[in-house]
Order: sequence, then structure tokens, then C-alpha cells
Amino acid sequence: MADIRGRLTFSGGVHPPESKEYSENCPIEVVPVPKQAAVLLSQHLGAACAPLVAKRDKVAAGQMIGKAEAFVSAPVHSPVNGTVKDITLLPHPAIGRTMGILIETDETGNAPKQPAARHFDRTFDPAGFSVDAICRAAQEAGLVGMGGAGFPSRVKIEPNPSMPKELLIINACECEPFITCDYRVMLEWTWQVLAGIRLAARAAGVSRTRIGIEDNKPEAIRVMTEAVRTLDEAEDIQVVPVKTKYPQGGERQLIRAIEKKTVPTGGIPPAIGICVLNVATCAALAEMAVLSQPLTHRVVTVTGRAIARPGNYYVPIGISAAELIDHCGGLTEKAAKVVLGGPMMGFAIADLSQPITKTSGALTLLTRTDVSEAKYQKQQTPCIRCGRCLAACPENLNPTKIAHAVKHFRMEMADQYYLSACIECGCCSYVCPAQIELTGYIKTGKLLKARAKKRQG
Amino acid sequence: MLSKITVSPAPHISQKRSTRGVMLDVIIGLSPAMAAALYFFRVKAAMVMAVCVVSCLFVEWICGVLRKKPHSLGDLSAVVTGLILAMSLPPAIPLWAVVIGAAFAIVICKMLFGGLGANIFNPAMAARAFLSASFGVLMTTWTVPATIAPDLPQISATQTTAVTQATPLAWAKSAIQGKADVKEVNAMLKSAFLGSVGGCLGETSALALLIGGAYLLIRRTITFHIPAAVLIAAFVFAEIFYLINPDKYSTPFVQLFSGGMLICAFFIATDPVTAPLSTKGMWIFGAGVGALIMLIRFIGEYPEGVMYAVLIMNAVSPLIDRACKLIPAGGKPNVK
Repeated sequence: MADIRGRLTFSGGVHPPESKEYSENCPIEVVPVPKQAAVLLSQHLGAACAPLVAKRDKVAAGQMIGKAEAFVSAPVHSPVNGTVKDITLLPHPAIGRTMGILIETDETGNAPKQPAARHFDRTFDPAGFSVDAICRAAQEAGLVGMGGAGFPSRVKIEPNPSMPKELLIINACECEPFITCDYRVMLEWTWQVLAGIRLAARAAGVSRTRIGIEDNKPEAIRVMTEAVRTLDEAEDIQVVPVKTKYPQGGERQLIRAIEKKTVPTGGIPPAIGICVLNVATCAALAEMAVLSQPLTHRVVTVTGRAIARPGNYYVPIGISAAELIDHCGGLTEKAAKVVLGGPMMGFAIADLSQPITKTSGALTLLTRTDVSEAKYQKQQTPCIRCGRCLAACPENLNPTKIAHAVKHFRMEMADQYYLSACIECGCCSYVCPAQIELTGYIKTGKLLKARAKKRQG
Repeated sequence: MLSKITVSPAPHISQKRSTRGVMLDVIIGLSPAMAAALYFFRVKAAMVMAVCVVSCLFVEWICGVLRKKPHSLGDLSAVVTGLILAMSLPPAIPLWAVVIGAAFAIVICKMLFGGLGANIFNPAMAARAFLSASFGVLMTTWTVPATIAPDLPQISATQTTAVTQATPLAWAKSAIQGKADVKEVNAMLKSAFLGSVGGCLGETSALALLIGGAYLLIRRTITFHIPAAVLIAAFVFAEIFYLINPDKYSTPFVQLFSGGMLICAFFIATDPVTAPLSTKGMWIFGAGVGALIMLIRFIGEYPEGVMYAVLIMNAVSPLIDRACKLIPAGGKPNVK
């Protein structure tokens, strides 16, 4: 067996406890059809969708119910057969509230959707798909970056003459602690993932593809390497083990680790000829291109010390956090925080009617000990200027200065310290001995800046 | 059941290390030097350290009461200030002077600036400077360890002949001025390393300070940048002078192991509040401290330069921070 130790890395970053043991060995489990599904009209970066259905309309599983009208947008589909109960404001993890379609599930005629992996094997050939067909599939499936950012995938893989792409990087790092959904997808849906990767590579017109996996997942590295070995070498797809360090799965960090190239501040990877896609996104792309099944379900890791039955669940997008938690045996007594996403970048939610979205890879249930007593009680002490946040910042920023500027509404000063270059990975808050919510301040600063810009028109 | 669920910005986990933990580490790091001080200066050392720490804590508590704010004794920063100040005082100093120094450190140098994290100058060094300026004689009356405890085992062969009433650095100064033989100064290396020489409480034993410094480095309470910069700069400076005139200047190792050089490199210059934030800034800051110490020792009027070197570099530390502003990993953005 080849050496799987990944030495490729970036500067800065932190090593939080990996905490993958709760769910890494739990096979993907199909969740029963929920009583209702809440499909948000804004699950991606870009313009929200326009609803295509009205109250009391009948919808079928897989039917498009929200239409993307802007260039950077993605449609949404109903995950179940049912009736539209309401189109209303629903909780959204990042932006508070947003319009969504509430669907009441039909009592009969609904069977839980099974994963599509069984339709894929090593004989898959992407040559039968035109670039146009693949891009159309990405758009019609409502495909967005499922790793968390939620950027519409069609915009990413579509050939763009002004920014030709040379390399496709598949982000399979899963550097967030606790989360194991991408890991399980690689182990169990290997051929489907590979089919998606090859389709994406074909559409993007790249000459090379690199699959970056952190070296704390030797099994995934082994499985993917073996699968890739069956391919023609001309396709030039390789698995690249990278060092286990958070945030290795940030696309800018992954590009730096694998290619030693730097995406310019404020720029996007295509500016240097690179396209980065998440593993789960590739699997969903294959599903749409081959089976015409849009993105209505995804694998969600429900994990942490505060849940009775942690695992990896194949759930309809739109199931509420409460219903999913109930399916997993409910919260334990010690539950202190419900986080949609991982503990480093996820959103703490208070309203458990919050639906799962396309970008929610995990539901992390943390106890008071996980959160730490000081953080639970929100005890922040003065900054002692120790500089740990500077050393941990993967983007080489000065988090304490930015946070200080934002705290005192000195926006021009925050800009001087490159507020917008922050990737919000959370490393600075993680290392701060004074428990200052540096990332929180920086996010607030970005929000204030966006608001000021809007006001100026 | 769900009543206790909280929300806050990400991240939701954090490293289990607090300001209190950092300060506790510094105290543990200082403990070998404290033990050495107790060993060499006995009850005088114990009195100075105890009075200094207790006064710092008491004054900090009073400040909290006056500011009508919850006291901040729990972060242990006052203990650290008290210990560092005690370590930089001569063993024979009267206790009333210790109390004045401690009060000056906490009230004038720390609380008036806004408390922990807001002070410009290292409180312990500023208080020591205040005491030196006010009570010059008390601050330069050195006790020889052997006179306190004549029954101590002979740790050093040179002990009986070399040092009587002056520190190695005072001898080095005399040598520079042509009043003493530099060879005698160089012969003090071993006693300076082990600590059986005259000097401030925490300065005497280089070995104890190195052990404490190593502890801080291993615990990652401090990074290596500042200590390395201080020691390299001082060594290079001393080496150049030694090479030019070995009859006048003592060897670089004598300079590194005597006086406040090591306690400065590991415990004083590394005070995060008064040092620059970025690693590049730390290198410049440390090198400045090291070079200034040697400049004062060799060319200046005083035998020892740690205190003023640290205070001068504290003053320029914000400028260093400004000069070493970090550039984002992706380069400066094109549009602001």
C-alpha cells in the first residue's frame, strides 16, 4: 500500500479534535418520508427562486417548484408527493428568514427515495454526454456547492471563454470536525462519485483532475485510488492525500496545498484556471445527468455527544431539524447547542423547525462540555494581544484588529485590515484564550458593510 | 428539555485555553527561578516575592472597587506582574519600597491605561524604572548569596574569590572602564549559569530561567520568535565587541547568562500585551531589545540595560505593528 500520508498543506490553520468517531462507521441510512417538507427558495448564493406553485397545489416528488430566473441562481424541487400548504417566511440558518414552500406530505403513495448509487458501476462512460447536456443537468437539478458555500454549480463548470479552466479539484477533505457525510458517500457511492467527477471534468474542459482527501481518512483514500486506477490514464484523475488540518477543505487553502498557487484576494478559483467541486455535488451531478433525478435528497451527518443515535442519514431536503432529531432518537439531557453544519462554521439554531437545506452537511448536537463553560456563559475577557489569531489565520489576516475596528464601528479601519478577505473559517475564535468571538465580529462587519453599500444604492 | 439550548456565532468549539491558563503557565515557568531565588537568598527572597504579589493583588482589587467593576484577580495577571517585579528587585530591598513599586505597577502602569491588555509599557519594568529613579541606592545594593547562607554547599569554585559585593555585570562594567580585569569576569561564567552570584532575585540562575523558558516554549505559551531574537541580537552584538577587544569586553556567554538577559528574553519581552502582534514584528522587537541591552551594557552608563531596553521597545511596539502590517495570503485586493 502506497504512503497515504498527506504532506501538502497551507500555512496557518488549527487542529481541533477530529471527533469523527461518532458517525464514521455508520452506513448511510434512508430516513422515512417526513410529515412535511419545507423547501426554502434561497438555498444558494445568488438570487432567490420564484415559486412555480400556489397554495393548495398538488406537487410530485422531483417536480420543480421554484424557478431560477437570474444567472447566478438554482431552482428547487419538491422532495415528496404532497400538497402545498403555504408559501411563507421560514427560518434560514444564515440570513434569518427567507421565503419557502411548505409541503404537506400525502399519506399514501410516498416511499422514501433510495440512493442512486446502485445504478453506477465501473463501466460508466462520460463520452456519451455532451458538455451542453451536463451543464443543463447541473442547472436543472438545482445543483449547488453542497460543501457549505452553495454556489450554483452550473456557473462553476460551464465553459467560460474569458476564464479557461485547466484543473478540476475535487474537495473531499471534510476538514470540519464531526462531519462524515462526504466520507461515507465516497466509501458507499464510489462509482457514482467518480461518474460525477468525470462528467464535471468533461464539462469544464479540464486536462487534469485532483481529488484532495485529508490523510485522516485512509479508507476513503484507498477506495478512491482503487476506483481511479480502473480509468484510462489519459483522463489524468489522481487522488491526492493532503495533511489533516482545519480548514484544509476551504477551496483557497486546498488550492494552495495541492497546486501551491494562490487565488487572488477577492478573486475566485477560475481566475487562475481552477474549478473546485465538492464530492457530494459530483454525486448529485451524476444522478441528474444519468437518471434525471434532481437534487431533492442529500446525506446529512447527525452527530455529537448530545444525540441518541448518531449516523449518516439520506434525508429529503426540507425535512425539519426537529423531525430528523426525533428520527435519531432525540436529544439527550446534556444538549447545549444545535448546530446546522459543523462546529467550526455551522450555524447554531434556536428554532428546530429549521429545514435541512442543500448545503447542510451535518446537524451537530453539542453538549456543554463540547462548547466549554466559558463559551457557554459567553465570558469574553480583554484581548491580551497574544497574536494567536494572527498565527492561526489561514488567510494571513489580523483578526483582532479587524474585530476591534468593527466593535467600534470603524469600518474604514476594518477595511484597511482587509475585512473582506476573511473566509470566516473560525480559526481565530477557536484559538483565542480570551474567548473573544472574533469571527462573529468580522461577520457582523461584513454585514454592516453590505448594508451601508445597499443604502448608498 | 430544550430550555438550555443557546445560540452564538461560529465556531462552537474552542481550544481549552484561557487567559488565566496562559498566566498560570507563566507562573509555572517562573517557578524554577523562584526556587533558585529561595535557595540563594532564603527568607529575603520569600519576603520580597510574597509582599510584591500580595500588594499587586490587593491594589488590583482596590482598583476594581473604585472603578465599580467586578475585580479581575481571577485572570492571575496581577500575580504575574507581581512575580516579575519581585524577580527584578535586589534581595535586600526594604519591603515598603516593594509595596510602592507594586502599587505603581498596577495603578499607574496598568489600570490607568484601562487594565489588562491596554497598557503600553510592561508594568513590572515601568515600576522597576520608577524605583530605580526614586531609590537608586536601594536598587543597587546587592547581596552576595554566600553571605546569607555561609553553610551552602560550594556550587562554584570561583564563588569565594570572584564576587563580593557586585554583580557580574557591574564587574564587566568596571572591566570596560579599565578598573577590573576582564579575565576575572569571564571566569564567572559557571557561577552566573548556576546562580551563585549577586543580582536581582530572579536573575541570578541562568539554568533555572532556561528550564522555565523551555517549559513556556513546550507549552506554546510563548513562541520562540522573541526569545530567539533577543538572544541572537545580544550574542551578535557582544561577539562583535569581544572580537574587537577581548581585553576589555567579556565573552558573549557571560553577557547572555548574567543579569536580566534570560528573564527578559523568556518572561519580560514576551509579555504579549506590550509586544507586537505579528511574527515579523516579534523578530524586530526582540532584536531591538537584545541590541539595546548590549548597547547600554557596553556603551551606556549603567551596567545593566534590560529595563530601559524593554521600555524603549514597548514604546515603539505599536509603530512596529504598523510597519509590519500583514498582507493577505492572496495579495492586496485590487479594488477596495
